[in-house]
Amino acid sequence: MNKQISISAKHLKKAFGKGESIQVIYSDLNIDIYKGDFTVIMGSSGAGKSTLMYSLSGMDKPDGGEIYFDGVDITKLNNDKLAVFRRKECGFVFQQIYLIDKMNLMDNVITAGVLTSKNREDIKNRAEELFSLVNIPEKTWRKTSAQISGGEAQRAGIVRAVINNPNVLFADEPTGALNSANSAAVLDVFTSLHDKGQSIVMVTHDKKSALRGNRIIYIKDGKIFGECDLGKFEQDNMERTEKLDKFIKEMGW
Amino acid sequence: MKSGIMILRIMKKLSTLILHNLNKAKGQYISFGVFICLTAFIINIALVLAFQTFDAYDDLFDKLDTADINFIIPQIQDNDNLLTEVEEINGVSFVEKHGGVFTPVTVREFAGSDFDMNTVFYNIDEERKLNLLDVTEQAGKSGDSAYIPMYMKKLGGFTEGGSITYSIDGKDHTYHIGGTVLEMQYGNYGTGLIGGYFPKAVYEEFAGKYSNNAVKEYSIKTTENADLSEMKNIISEMIKGKGIALLSINDRAASKQTRTMVCTLLIVIFLAIAAIILVVSIFLSNFRIRSGVEDELAQMGVLKAIGYTSNMIIAGAVMPYVFVGIIATVIGIAVSYAVLPFVAGILAIQSGFSYTPVFDIMAMLIVVLTLTLAILLFSYISAGKIHRLEPINAIRGVVGEESVGQNILLFIVAFCIMVLLSFAGTLLYNVNIKSDNFMNTLSEELPSVIFTAEDEKMAELKKILQKDNRVQLFMEYASVPVSYTDGSLTAFVCEDFSKVTNDICYEGSSPAKDNEIAVGNALADDYPIGKEIEITVGSQSQNYIVTGYIQSVNNAGAVCQLTSKGYEKIGEKTESVNVYLYDKNADAFIKEYEENYDTVVKSSVNFEQMSENGQMMYTGIVSVIVIILFVISVLMVLLVMYVIINSMISRRRQEFGIYKAIGYTNRQLTVKTAFEFIPATAVASVISAIAGFWYLPAIDNVIFSLIGAVKNQFEVSVWILIIFAVMFTAVAFGISVLLSAPIKKITAYSLLKD
Repeated sequence: MNKQISISAKHLKKAFGKGESIQVIYSDLNIDIYKGDFTVIMGSSGAGKSTLMYSLSGMDKPDGGEIYFDGVDITKLNNDKLAVFRRKECGFVFQQIYLIDKMNLMDNVITAGVLTSKNREDIKNRAEELFSLVNIPEKTWRKTSAQISGGEAQRAGIVRAVINNPNVLFADEPTGALNSANSAAVLDVFTSLHDKGQSIVMVTHDKKSALRGNRIIYIKDGKIFGECDLGKFEQDNMERTEKLDKFIKEMGW
Repeated sequence: MKSGIMILRIMKKLSTLILHNLNKAKGQYISFGVFICLTAFIINIALVLAFQTFDAYDDLFDKLDTADINFIIPQIQDNDNLLTEVEEINGVSFVEKHGGVFTPVTVREFAGSDFDMNTVFYNIDEERKLNLLDVTEQAGKSGDSAYIPMYMKKLGGFTEGGSITYSIDGKDHTYHIGGTVLEMQYGNYGTGLIGGYFPKAVYEEFAGKYSNNAVKEYSIKTTENADLSEMKNIISEMIKGKGIALLSINDRAASKQTRTMVCTLLIVIFLAIAAIILVVSIFLSNFRIRSGVEDELAQMGVLKAIGYTSNMIIAGAVMPYVFVGIIATVIGIAVSYAVLPFVAGILAIQSGFSYTPVFDIMAMLIVVLTLTLAILLFSYISAGKIHRLEPINAIRGVVGEESVGQNILLFIVAFCIMVLLSFAGTLLYNVNIKSDNFMNTLSEELPSVIFTAEDEKMAELKKILQKDNRVQLFMEYASVPVSYTDGSLTAFVCEDFSKVTNDICYEGSSPAKDNEIAVGNALADDYPIGKEIEITVGSQSQNYIVTGYIQSVNNAGAVCQLTSKGYEKIGEKTESVNVYLYDKNADAFIKEYEENYDTVVKSSVNFEQMSENGQMMYTGIVSVIVIILFVISVLMVLLVMYVIINSMISRRRQEFGIYKAIGYTNRQLTVKTAFEFIPATAVASVISAIAGFWYLPAIDNVIFSLIGAVKNQFEVSVWILIIFAVMFTAVAFGISVLLSAPIKKITAYSLLKD
């Protein structure tokens, strides 16, 4: 079956710093992201995983190259158009969660929801459905991030990320700040969303997280160093685990 | 319409964010609101006064059909032809003649002392078409009734039903006060003349006694576009050409300026104070928004990530300030209406007419729009940094540029507050401590006592004074009416102007020879130094060379200085001697002279008491201004420190947690924090105090020149500035210690949790 391309990046260039202290992240990187895939980007620290993900999502501008998101070159968009693009097409989950301080979970979600929907009641109803999906009980909806656990906060962060039905959900080390129990719960949410057809791009260096994806991309020396098709996630599927282990070993992990 | 709906839609979208921003920093918005409330309060008072006082004056002027020009001539020189000729002057629409008695009088017990003024007495029952009198009758007419102008009631302390004593040529006449007269012809002492009113029978008896002082007053109504100044010249020329003495001529514009002088001063001062508070508020909101962007950099980044545009995020940051600003402005305006009647009451003391300020929609719109636009504009500029934030950099905490630091804000605020305090201190010092400076700015010589003596006794009186060791200085000095081509002047006649204690000459010099003259600021444009001016007393005229310009607030600049010898060329020798005592004991001094030298001293005036009375009119107003300035200053320090310290504590929670973990006590941290504010505050205070030597005279000059006091004699006291600088720094430190108390609540454990 031919997969439909969601994002296509061509000849991407990105560097930090200037002059002698310049650090080239990638100089000619090409990558396609497919609809319905749970793409996991792996690589060693400083390989440019997050930089690539943020470029693909219009959060950061590459120094050169093109990024076609559903056929539109987002590198040509100005800041305001990029903001409108992100609110319609992307959802973001961060390692540090970044719920808005002192704002309750429901309002955090509504703050994102109002950007694409005119009806507040609709947003609320959808938020309630999503809160149920990620197992956040009603009594917690009016709590602030300081009053709940990291796992609950991250699941609320996922609700905020998907409230506008994004084409692609981007996640940057979503379990990096969580303990194993909370991590598993968060990853279950990602799997559940993926099962419902949500395209996901996740950056991680955690093997358990990577196992949730069906396509693993390994970045090294500013290039796509390798790629692995793990197939659909199944709990306790040793074959997938071994395949991933073998892949990342080959990549020099 | 469409854009309005769009804005509403965007606001609806942003409502959650705006409410959240408002909610999370309530204290900061309240402090900002207090500033704006105060600004709106002061600006609205100033604007309502500006819009209504002058209009109320004009309305009353029209209601009482007040003449545009009034001139007074001796009755004996009046004739019917003159009336016809005046009526035929181009621009004159109606002329009415009134009889009167023009005489200098001393009002006894005017606010506890004697008060000298040139007065025109009228028959209150005479039918008038112009210069109508609005009489408030309290005690009814009787055989000994007199009616007093509003000014004497407000400042002199006379009341209906009480009594008033006029002393004329040393003879006292006491009357029962039948009521108060509101009129727009004279109004207050500053116009140089004041009215006195009697019922017909009392007037006729009085006029019979002073038939030599009988005058005719010509009241002239002009056509709409008539040039009052030109018309005054024509009338003066005509009168002079006929050899008639012009005792007084005044016009609507000059009277209005004199009577609304304090109001103009207050408006200027209020607007200046409001401008300073607004500057502080804007810096405060600027600081808050900028530090808010830095404190919540990651959250700004997240908002950008989830699709908020920069303008939406800026609107989220700016709108709370705009909403709070609008609400605070409306509250400030509302409160100002509670205070306005009190302010108008104070102004009535000086203006001699009262009115009740009413709600002014124009003032409200100006205040609301000005403040809202200022808040919107400056907070938008402050939040402009959000435009430059790349979402990914914001999430990673890369600020990109340095922000306006708390020390810069503190410096600016401290400097502004010190300007207010220094101005208040200088006012206080020159009005209440070295009050001569204030009185010298507003008036002429300020002797302790004025004696009059017949010509032949003058030498003897001077000999007695020469021997008296209580007397510091004495000189022949008198104020007499004279006239020139364009009208009447008050001439200050002195035997030797090098002896005067208040040099009111602001350019050139006072006259030294008998052919020299210094003229008031009203004449300065027409008579350059070196030019001749013809001065007339009765039928005698003489040309004098202008040697300089003198200032006069009270006579609207229509004054001159002549040497005694110079004046004697056209007038009789003056009889007054100014006596300056070492000590303030004029009462006992006068009593002793009246008892021991009753054949030498013809009459005496306790001028010390009089000037204190004159000062009284202003000290009340100055005290109110000074108190307002002090309260505002303390409030500003309190609120600004609150915002700065609050923001600092929230930003440095981790640092305080670390200090506590390594063993610092709460007290050590509180004092350490408070000390961090000392350098900016102290440096600003010192710089402001030093700069005060330059800017305070400049501010005083601007304010006093508005009321005609070209030569402001205020001193800037180094001690006042030092005391205020030290006090301000100490108060700021004290407030910092108090406001730093929340540091106690930060535990070392909370650091770990953060």
